[in-house]
Amino acid sequence: MSSIDSSSSPFASGDPTEISEAVIPKGTLWQMMESGIELGGERLNPILVKEARQALKSKQFVITFTLLLLAGWVWSMLGVALLSPGVYYAPGGRFMLSGYFIILTIPVLVIVPFSAFRSLAAEREDGTFELLSITALSSRQIVTGKLGSAMLQMLVYYSALAPCIAFTYLLRGIDIVTIVFLLFWTLVASVLLSSIGLVVATVSRARHWQVLLSVLLLVGLCFVTFFWTLSFVSLIVDAQATAFDDTDFWLAMAAIMTFCISHAVMFVLIAAAQISFASDNRSTKLRVMLLVQQTLWIGWMAFFWIKFEEEEILYILVSVACLYWAFAGACLMGEAAILSPRVKRSLPQSFLGRMCFTWFNPGSGTGYTFTVANLLTLLLVTIVAGLTAELEGFAAARGGFDWVIFVTLAVAYVIVYLGVARLVTLLLRQLGRVTMLLTFLVTLFLCVIGVALPLFFQAWLEGYSRMSYSIVQMSNWCWTLEEAADGNLLTFSLVPIIIYCSAVVVFFLNLLFAIYEVEQVRLATPERVLQDEREMHPSTDEKRGGSSPWDDLKAT
Amino acid sequence: MPEQPVIDMRRLHRFFGSTRAVNDISFEVMKGEVFGYIGPNGAGKTTSMRILATLDIPTYGDALVDGFSVINDPDRVRRRLGFMPDYFGTYADVNCREYLDFFARAYGLRGNERRRALAHVMGFTKLDGLAEKPIRGLSKGMKQRLCLGRSMIHDPSVLILDEPAAGLDPRARIELRQMIRELADNGKTILVSSHILTELAEMCDRVGIIERGELLAVGTVAEIQRGQITHCQIKARVLENVAAVATWLENRGDVESIRVDGQLIRFSHVGESDAQAALLREMILAEFAIAEFGIEQRSLEDVFMHVTRGVVQ
Repeated sequence: MSSIDSSSSPFASGDPTEISEAVIPKGTLWQMMESGIELGGERLNPILVKEARQALKSKQFVITFTLLLLAGWVWSMLGVALLSPGVYYAPGGRFMLSGYFIILTIPVLVIVPFSAFRSLAAEREDGTFELLSITALSSRQIVTGKLGSAMLQMLVYYSALAPCIAFTYLLRGIDIVTIVFLLFWTLVASVLLSSIGLVVATVSRARHWQVLLSVLLLVGLCFVTFFWTLSFVSLIVDAQATAFDDTDFWLAMAAIMTFCISHAVMFVLIAAAQISFASDNRSTKLRVMLLVQQTLWIGWMAFFWIKFEEEEILYILVSVACLYWAFAGACLMGEAAILSPRVKRSLPQSFLGRMCFTWFNPGSGTGYTFTVANLLTLLLVTIVAGLTAELEGFAAARGGFDWVIFVTLAVAYVIVYLGVARLVTLLLRQLGRVTMLLTFLVTLFLCVIGVALPLFFQAWLEGYSRMSYSIVQMSNWCWTLEEAADGNLLTFSLVPIIIYCSAVVVFFLNLLFAIYEVEQVRLATPERVLQDEREMHPSTDEKRGGSSPWDDLKAT
Repeated sequence: MPEQPVIDMRRLHRFFGSTRAVNDISFEVMKGEVFGYIGPNGAGKTTSMRILATLDIPTYGDALVDGFSVINDPDRVRRRLGFMPDYFGTYADVNCREYLDFFARAYGLRGNERRRALAHVMGFTKLDGLAEKPIRGLSKGMKQRLCLGRSMIHDPSVLILDEPAAGLDPRARIELRQMIRELADNGKTILVSSHILTELAEMCDRVGIIERGELLAVGTVAEIQRGQITHCQIKARVLENVAAVATWLENRGDVESIRVDGQLIRFSHVGESDAQAALLREMILAEFAIAEFGIEQRSLEDVFMHVTRGVVQ
């Protein structure tokens, strides 16, 4: 038993042979396989086991599966009839696959993600989630169990149409790579959409919000499915459109794949954080994941930069990263800087540990600093890459060092806008509770006002038709960055200087208000907890021998 | 070393806006004790039980289960605690065995241990014959048994039962009471809330009375009665001169509310046991023919009605 002391349980066997008989496979190959499967089943996520049992008996599954089979059968008949008599001598695989693909995408891209959403939302509505949450299952296990169940349903739907898809290959005209490519990416999209569905299910417990969210999700899924089907069917029909022989195509696919996986993991972590216990640390894992995504982004962009030697890649790298961090930063700043004693027990204690890991702790100040640190890292990497390229002479330099002004300005703008938004929310916190949504809306409002206000002001002064860039547009990040990218900002050299100085001032002002969050120190673990830990893991103490510069375990 | 309480509520507060659902509640429950938690609707019973079950966190204060804080060590508390809420929380398209099997897996039980736990719980709750029956086809009493089974599937040392007997027929209530008593006899610590006070009085070692989020009294029914009720109701049977006895009693300062019913005289007396003995002695010395003299026992309902005011927030 993993979580309960076996020795004290009335369920524990007095006969040691009882368990070993079930565990050790013996006899025929079939018995060994059966024992192996049984052992594997024991290790499966309980939610997956329960959902699989439930799903196979549910009306929704039976109806969807039957409709899928019926649709597949009807299309087989109809398609062959339409192709006849050419089906005997002309390749009809592409035509038939288009139909099967459309039939498959509806359950896989609409029903499965929506079922994942409903599955978690219903647990919260019916009160069963509360019963789940007090078991030994972690919130992450609950979410991954739901996602696993969605994936199982996908595979069942895939298997239902597998004979039909095999039939299209036999009809010729379509290669196995295209078929696998389509099915694989549809599967990935379904997993990604299901993980989004799970996040949406955790947004609110209020009935009216749940209804609204379910409608929005359903509409969104229908849109995605429509465009997905449209683009992939055109890929099936147009044989020339695929670039399977091109290495760059596969590199791009690999890059997209890594981002899909990292985003699916991120969504699972977000959903798990949303449903975790109030005193849990909901932020650190998400911040680690943000860091992983930043690393992936920089890594892939650096790779493409070296490979293609295009200056535009630097612009894409910084623009996308700045948008990403502006969004992530606005969310992180909405966190309350309250660390439960439970979280404080695992805080780093050494100087090095505190310096590096404090920014992973929950809190608006640490969130802002974490965002700035990542932006500065991005800036550093971009400048080093750009300068190296200039020195090596392999970059197709377009306008000297215009890109330097662009990237530094973009980063400075994010620092300023997020910083000001945080200062505003700090003021709002004096008046009442500030949620993550409110912080995000404040940031968004400031970003929009920063663009709209100078535009209206200058249009009012000079008239819309005669407007040209001036220092008044300093807060207008859209126009200023466009001017910087075009190399026109040299005539307004004061603008970048003011923005850089503002960024420095705003950052240090925010740092000042983050002191409370930095001052958090580790709390000693209660003796009762240590005693329980020793009972559960008797060998842990022996393993805690070494010392680490990142931590000081003696304090516990 | 004194025995540590298994449940230790420490100045528990829970506010919802301006509503003080739980307001400074403290009490302890020792190992093997059945503690009855009683109070009118909206008194704060469910809120405090939910905090204890790690489903909510207090605004202030803490609660310890076997020495672990429900705020800081919920995972350790959960291993030791089984919670039966005042709703069923069952799944559609699942039968009894599958339902219990799922929770056994969720509590980390594996292999033979899980199978034994299922057999034990189904036997204890007498659900063996209904193992393959879909949950939606169960009666309310059977669902309550199933939920009790779920809460004890991982063999917790503490059980929190919120209104377990609500809506059950008399037979099911008696059987549930027997099960709870049996669990306590096996060393489980049980915190149970109910509106059916007569049942609580029979199964509980101690009770806590809560109203408007505040704990008004804690102890055995007799202790609360002693602590809260200064008057006791005395019944005397007098063979002759009943009116004279009544007049004699009226002239005493420690007697109130005299009611005569044939040979029976009922009155309220202020004082402890020795004062009651003195009163009887004086009545005999006054040569009244006293055939019967005794204290009318107050039920938990009487105590509850006396202690609470029926005010809701």
